[in-house]
Amino acid sequence: MSSRKKVLLKVIILGDSGVGKTSLMNQFVNKKFSNQYKATIGADFLTKEVIVDDRIVTMQIWDTAGQERFQSLGVAFYRGADCCVLVFDVTAPNTFKSLESWRDEFLIQASPRDPDNFPFVILGNKVDLDNRAVSAKRAQQWCQSKNDIPYFETSAKEAVNVELAFQTIARNALAQETEAELYNEFPDQIKLNANDNNRNRDGDNCAC
Amino acid sequence: MASTSKDVPTSPSGHDNTDDDLEPGASYDSILNPTDSFEEFATEMNTSLERSRDLTKKSSTISEIQSEIGECSKELKETKSSDNLQNKDEAISASTSNSNLDENGEDTDNEDDYLKSPELVNKEKHVFILSSAGKPIYSRYGNEDKLAGVCGVIQALVSVVEEQNRDILRSIITKDCKAVFLVKGPLILVAVSKSNESETQLVLQLTYAFNQIVSVLTLTQLNRIFEQRRNYDLRRLLSGAERLIDNLLIFMEKDPAFLLGAVRCLPLPEKVRENITNAIISTCHKIRDLVFAILIAGNQLITLVRMKKYTLHPSDIHLLFNLVRSSESFKTAESWTPICLPKFDATGFLHGHVSYISEDCQACLLLLTVQRDAFYPLSQAKHTISDKLRRSNCLTAINDALNRSKDLPTTNPLKHIGIPEIRHFMYKCKSTAQLFTSDPICLDRLQDYRQRHKEGGDVVKKKVEKLSDIDYVRNYREFCSKMHCACSPAKLIFRSNSLDTVLAWITNGFELYVTFDPLMEKDQAIRAVDRLLRWIKNEEKRIFIMNAPTF
Repeated sequence: MSSRKKVLLKVIILGDSGVGKTSLMNQFVNKKFSNQYKATIGADFLTKEVIVDDRIVTMQIWDTAGQERFQSLGVAFYRGADCCVLVFDVTAPNTFKSLESWRDEFLIQASPRDPDNFPFVILGNKVDLDNRAVSAKRAQQWCQSKNDIPYFETSAKEAVNVELAFQTIARNALAQETEAELYNEFPDQIKLNANDNNRNRDGDNCAC
Repeated sequence: MASTSKDVPTSPSGHDNTDDDLEPGASYDSILNPTDSFEEFATEMNTSLERSRDLTKKSSTISEIQSEIGECSKELKETKSSDNLQNKDEAISASTSNSNLDENGEDTDNEDDYLKSPELVNKEKHVFILSSAGKPIYSRYGNEDKLAGVCGVIQALVSVVEEQNRDILRSIITKDCKAVFLVKGPLILVAVSKSNESETQLVLQLTYAFNQIVSVLTLTQLNRIFEQRRNYDLRRLLSGAERLIDNLLIFMEKDPAFLLGAVRCLPLPEKVRENITNAIISTCHKIRDLVFAILIAGNQLITLVRMKKYTLHPSDIHLLFNLVRSSESFKTAESWTPICLPKFDATGFLHGHVSYISEDCQACLLLLTVQRDAFYPLSQAKHTISDKLRRSNCLTAINDALNRSKDLPTTNPLKHIGIPEIRHFMYKCKSTAQLFTSDPICLDRLQDYRQRHKEGGDVVKKKVEKLSDIDYVRNYREFCSKMHCACSPAKLIFRSNSLDTVLAWITNGFELYVTFDPLMEKDQAIRAVDRLLRWIKNEEKRIFIMNAPTF
């Protein structure tokens, strides 16, 4: 195991406020659910180790606040993310409509190298509730139109599909990790003339 | 009890008949760049500033901020930091656990538990290194994977100040703890310390840690990697190098060389050092592209021969010391290794032939070249040098100095000087960036310290029976930061209390820190210092490298 490379994935969770981002994360990390709603302020950070195809992967999960007043924090948080989880509430159509702008915003702010193939996952949460308003079909259609983003219907409350969804997230992010070594080319040789290493810098510490 | 007097009008030398330009060790020619630890700090702060300047148009001028970061404006800074934090309170909850559940009184989150584990609690100084994406790269203690949450918080704190307040987060100071932040290129470095080190000293240590990483990768590679992939997990490239950072952090805490930005030389008779240098020059002068030949032993410099025009910065030498000390493999085989010396040239590698001079002598020879396929000629040169040194008895002389043979005056300088009131001193010659202390650190003790550190690094409040070099140096830190304070640097500090008497003195030529018995009179101390300086002057050719040989 010692020789196995450690992997750490930065996972960003986005979506309108109240769709259950924090609850999903809690279900995944702590196996707990609370009915009480408390708005996330800024962001919460959680880590969880998962095993994907025999590799131990640490997921560093950035649970962001959905409320608009925190949106300006985006740039800082999205930087260098390995994947992005977009969450909506199947009982609230407007949260589904927001997905488009969440996705766009993320791509603009994070500016990943290969935006078309950046790993997203869509979670339709709260499927345990009766007053469903966004059909699975509609959600799937949208996902297909966006380069086949994987779609999961989840319930943070009843732990439906949560584990599976996060496993998929980790696997898809890992797949992006191309083995193309960045470090194969040997850096340029030092050119001595280029470097005028003059010791007589200004300052009062000269011996004279 | 403690009296501090700054800028005493009559300098000690005026008191006695010592001439004013007595600067033991001073030399017009130096192999090392003269240094001032504050100068370094200022440079660091400038570079972080440049980065922020790109982000903002309303940034204040560099000089304004430079004066702001000085020790004396601490108060101002503290309030500033807390202002930032208040803003943040509204904007961001920097929690690593999930507050929603915790507040409901259910059990705490795993990471929260981990943060309270003995691995992490009560350490004197933590150092964290992360990417600007918030991915952990290095933690001095504990498992950095499990600290991914903390790293997220650090990244958030840094970027909120940067992007919302258009400012730089420098430090957060609490009653018993300082957190110091340094953003360098694509990395964020943080020290969280309960020690008596100043903010400046901590920033310097973070810079060293950064330079250690650059030394392994080069700055070009480091930047390129993160330009191409901001989500890169740098641990993949640094595996094996954590040990170098671990050792460097210990080294910095105990060796005054870092505090003063100077290099310690192995005391040797002038003639012996000359023979060693000549052996190297005569062997290597025909080897093209050889930039530096450096012989070191026990974190001390024996000699350095250089290509004309080029000198080394002490911090590059410190990295070489650290590399050699941290690599057991050099002892068993000749090595050929790429080494980047960040001050010399951060963009590329030098190629080093590294080997111990012989089995019976713990001196290590580094031959640094720009030629990447010069192993065999350099290996040949090394054997020739080694033979020459053996024949001229230089190896014996090196061993005597390393084993601190009782016959040498430099082995126990205090006894030799004969001023019983002096307990300890450390002296830096500024023009040559070299250092001498009364109690050179021997290898065994270094090892000892490292072992203690491995299991610990905890904050200890022990009563020490016999103080060692390390304890004195710890004590000098506060004096040192007063002497180098940006807004009103002191030239002379005399402090006497029931524990000891300390005199710190800085001139154009040198820096001197002396610990005396408690309750010394000022006059008496000054007379002792004059005698001490004369002794150093007398021995300067033995304890310092007074010339700057070239190939």
